[in-house]
Order: sequence, then structure tokens, then C-alpha cells
Amino acid sequence: MKRIVLGLCLAGVFVSSGCGKRTGASSEGELKGTISISGAWALYPMAVRWAEEFRRIHPGVRIDISAGGAGKGMADCLSGAADLGMLSRDIHTSELEKGAWPVAVVKDAVVAVANRNHPAAATLFSRGLTRQECIDLWITGRLKTWGQLSGFSLNEPVHVYTRSDACGAAETWAKYLGKNQEDLQGIGVFGDPGLAEAVRKDPLGIGYNNVNYAYDAATKKPMDGLMIVPLDLNENGRIDPEESFYGDRDEITRAIGEGRYPSPPARLLYLVSKGKPARPEVLAFLEWILRDGQAFADEAGYVPLSKEAAMKELEKLTQ
Amino acid sequence: MGLPNRTRRSLLYDRAAAGAMGLLARLSGLIVVVIAVGLFLKSVPILKNQSLSSLLFSSEWFPLRGQFGFLPFIMGSLWVTGTAMVLAVPLCLLTAIYLAEYAPLGIREGVRPLIDLLAGIPSVVYGVWGVLVVVPWVKRAAGWFGYSTSGYCVLSAGIVLAVMIFPVIIHMTVEILRAVPQEIREASLSLGATQWQTIKKVVLRKAFGGVLAAIVLGLSRAFGETMAVLMVAGNAVRSPTGFLDPAYPLPALIANNYGEMMSIPLYDSAMMLACLILLGVVLVFNILAKLVLMRIQKEIQ
Repeated sequence: MKRIVLGLCLAGVFVSSGCGKRTGASSEGELKGTISISGAWALYPMAVRWAEEFRRIHPGVRIDISAGGAGKGMADCLSGAADLGMLSRDIHTSELEKGAWPVAVVKDAVVAVANRNHPAAATLFSRGLTRQECIDLWITGRLKTWGQLSGFSLNEPVHVYTRSDACGAAETWAKYLGKNQEDLQGIGVFGDPGLAEAVRKDPLGIGYNNVNYAYDAATKKPMDGLMIVPLDLNENGRIDPEESFYGDRDEITRAIGEGRYPSPPARLLYLVSKGKPARPEVLAFLEWILRDGQAFADEAGYVPLSKEAAMKELEKLTQ
Repeated sequence: MGLPNRTRRSLLYDRAAAGAMGLLARLSGLIVVVIAVGLFLKSVPILKNQSLSSLLFSSEWFPLRGQFGFLPFIMGSLWVTGTAMVLAVPLCLLTAIYLAEYAPLGIREGVRPLIDLLAGIPSVVYGVWGVLVVVPWVKRAAGWFGYSTSGYCVLSAGIVLAVMIFPVIIHMTVEILRAVPQEIREASLSLGATQWQTIKKVVLRKAFGGVLAAIVLGLSRAFGETMAVLMVAGNAVRSPTGFLDPAYPLPALIANNYGEMMSIPLYDSAMMLACLILLGVVLVFNILAKLVLMRIQKEIQ
């Protein structure tokens, strides 16, 4: 208890002084305990990276992370099965009523993906998809063959893929199309990696992935066998230079950060707890993420929060 | 009482032990009832909200709008299980007949442990095998016949399921066939029947009830199988219209969503109802099998 008070006081001093020096709200090295985190695939790679860095500073803290979709993260944190849930969609009011307490930690986006060996890959890449075409693929099911899209001369069916688990990627993608996950048509596949794999194996397939499952972490290029389908934002039937930012992961994260990629499918990612966390190690971890953790976002393929946004989230911690 | 003390004590022990064992047996029988009652109580909210027939026969599945039509999932389950049974039953029967009647001892003793091993493979491993092997294969095979499918479909799920229930059906069927008394085989053979005629007309007739029970056991197993199926079935919320359509069986629905949609009203109640439907279907299968068995036993006598 004393330590929490101390931590809060220190954190208070810290925010009011409004500088970003790294002193950590709690005295070095005496943090102990286990933080369990579960939920969104989208945030998983980032959380793993953060946990690594945080443990370097506080070797006494163990952080267990498992991915299983945003729905699972929310359920686990509300039921107390996990300290923090990873959430890759906006929080529902009913969840807030149940005591969910979210902290925005980083940004990313969902992108449409197709198979690199698509019979008309070049056409697809140069014309992209408009929002309406996405709606006709995933919601109304009006587009059944590739030939129904202008510019294609092939009569092959489109294999539309979606997610079978309750997840933020689907929710965000559906939101972009003005609907909810339950309205998305298509073959349901479990998990982010699962969906990427399904599209990689199906030349006629089209799906959507979180940025970090669509791009390879090592090379930063789109995953082997995957092609990122550009969005035709001005709907002129082709991808103009200012709409073309899918070449590698850095390009797309820049576009997300600068708001050139629309939101949704760009979105904030949250860590959620049930009520404000009481344990010092959890608070310290969240605070570290908002201060120093942001520096690792870029290299992990995410977009850091703006300074103001991070400050706003920090205030939540110290209230 | 003229009994020596020790005998009396033994008798007492005996009665106590019998009582305790009887209680345990009754308790384990009660578990099914307890589970069913628990599920029912949990599904009351949705049953109050909507009629059972509209839940079972509507295809509108939009939980956020409060529409819970289970028909696509029920149809998905029936299609997938049906496909698995059509594939598995003939193969299993022929295998079991060979192992029980024709196979030399060496082969029988060598093959059976391998088949039993199939039962020990975790279902998620079957699922991965389905995704890596069966799905692409079904996609290719459908292509040869001029059909286009992603491979995530009823047929793939049926194939994976069929392999999963092989050991259940084969193991039991072999046991049952071995239990048929040797004398009646000899009687039939001595009348000049061939081995196949003997099996068909005598052995299988005698063992029919048991074989049916084995098949029903496989059916129940298939109907409830979750992980492997949800990995390959395609999970699209539509009633399948053919073997190459994706299906979304009930267990997959529960596994995908239970505990994840807490924020949607009635959702968990709908999930409980799904569990209840599953339990109900499996119970009905088993009761039907029992009834058929009883009929057959009467006929034979």
C-alpha cells in the first residue's frame, strides 16, 4: 500500500513537472510479481517486445502474454483471469459499465490482403479496391467473381475470408464498411496468422490482416505469398501515387501516423484492466509503456501515440 | 446370532462397500442430469425472450441485433457429421471385419495398437493436419472436377472427422465380432457356407446391435468434436447446400465465441442453449440406439 502511495506521488510529481526523463515511478529493482496479459493478436508482438524491455529494467517482474482475440482479452480481464486484456477495437459502453478501464497504448491498422499469385495480381495492385467494392465483397456478397470488378477479365470466383474468432481486426474492418463483425460474409478462419495462411494458400482468396501479420517482421516487406491490396480512397479506379504507401511496413505505419490511411481501418490499440489496476507492477508497466515504451513502437511495426495522447493516457494513471 | 464375530464384521464391510459403490455409481449417473439442468437454467433468459422454434429454425444470426437463429449451425453440424459417417462407417466395418475374421494373428496384433493410437492424437493435431493436408487436397481435387472451393468446407471437415472416429468404431466393432461364439461360425461353415457368407448372414446378424452401438458412439463423438472441425470447416454462418460449401457446426460456434461476447445481452444464454442442443442431440442418438438394440435383442430371442 505504502509503495502504491509513493508511486502515485512520484508519478504525480512526474506529470506535473511534465518532462520525459526516465526515473520510473517506483524505486528501481524492487518491483516483483507476475503480470498476465491476454487478448488481441494485433497487439501481441508489441506486448512481447515491451515485456522484454520492461524485464530488463525490472527483472523481478514476470509477464505472461497469450493471444486469442480481442474478445478473449476483454472476457479474461473482466473475469479476472488476466491482469490486462489487449484490445484492438473500440470499447463498448456495456464493457465500460462492467468496469473495463482502458488505456490507449499504440496505433496500428487493418489492411486488405490477397494472394501474391493471384491470376491478375498486377491489375489488382494498380486498381486497388474502393470501400464500396469491399462492402460488396464482405457485406452484401454481391461480388461473386473477380470478373465483376472493372478491369478484370477473369471469371474465377472470389474466395472471401474473414475471422471466426471474436476479434478487433474483424470489428475494425467491419466498422470501415459501416457494420459489425457478425455482418461479415466469408470463410471464417481462426486467428490472425490463420487468416494470413489461408489467403497465402488460395490464389483467389482475399482477406484482411493486422499490419504486423501482413508484413514480415524481419524484412518489413509483405509476407511471403501475400500481397497488400491498396485502398482506392478517391475512388477514381486506380491507385494514385498519394494512395500508394504499401511497399513496406515503415511506409504504411508512416501513412497511418500521418492519417493518410483512413481510420478505421486504422485504430487505437488498448490495454484494459478491470477497474484501475491496484498493483504497483501493473501500474509501473503501463506508465513505462506510455513513456519509454513508445520508442519501441516503430521498430515493432506500430505507430506511437502522439505526445498529447500519451500525456492524456498518463493522466488516467495518476488520477 | 450364531455367526462368529469375524464373519459378521465381513458382512458389514461388504454391505458398507456395496452401499458406497452404489452411491458413487448413482452420482456419476446424476452428473448428466446436473449438467443438463444447469445448462437449461442458464438458457432460460433467451427462451423467455424468443420461442424455441424461432431459435431452432431461423437463419438470422445477428447477436448485436438480438437475433439468434441457430439453423445454420444445426445444419452445419448435420452436414459435417453426416459426411463423416458416410465416409467412416463402410471403411470401419470392412476394416473391423478383416481384423476380426480374416487377419492372421500377427497383423491383428500389429494393426490394432496403431488404430488405437489414432484415438490418442489430440484433436488440435488433427486440425493442423486438416489445414495443411486435407484442405489443399480437397481444393485441388475439386478443381479436377471443375468446382472451385477454398478447401475449407463440409468435405474437408468430414474427412478429418472420419479419421478421428475410425478408432472408436473399429475398436468396438472388433471386440463385438470377437465376442460372437465360435460354435455358430462352425455350424454355418459346416453347412457349406463360405467364410464371407458366414460373416454376412451369421456373424453380422448376431453382432448387429453391438455394431450399431459402436456406430452411434462414433456419431456422438463426431457430433461433438470441436477443435479439429472449427479449423477446417470454414465457419461461415450459412446453411451448407453442398459438400464444398463452408459449414459452421455448433461446437465450433461455442468454442469460437463462448466467454468472448459477454458484452452482448443474451449472448451467453444463447451459447448455453447451443450447449443444451448439442447435449440433447447426443442423448437422442444414444436413446435411439438403445431402443433399436432392445428391439433387435427381442427379435433374436
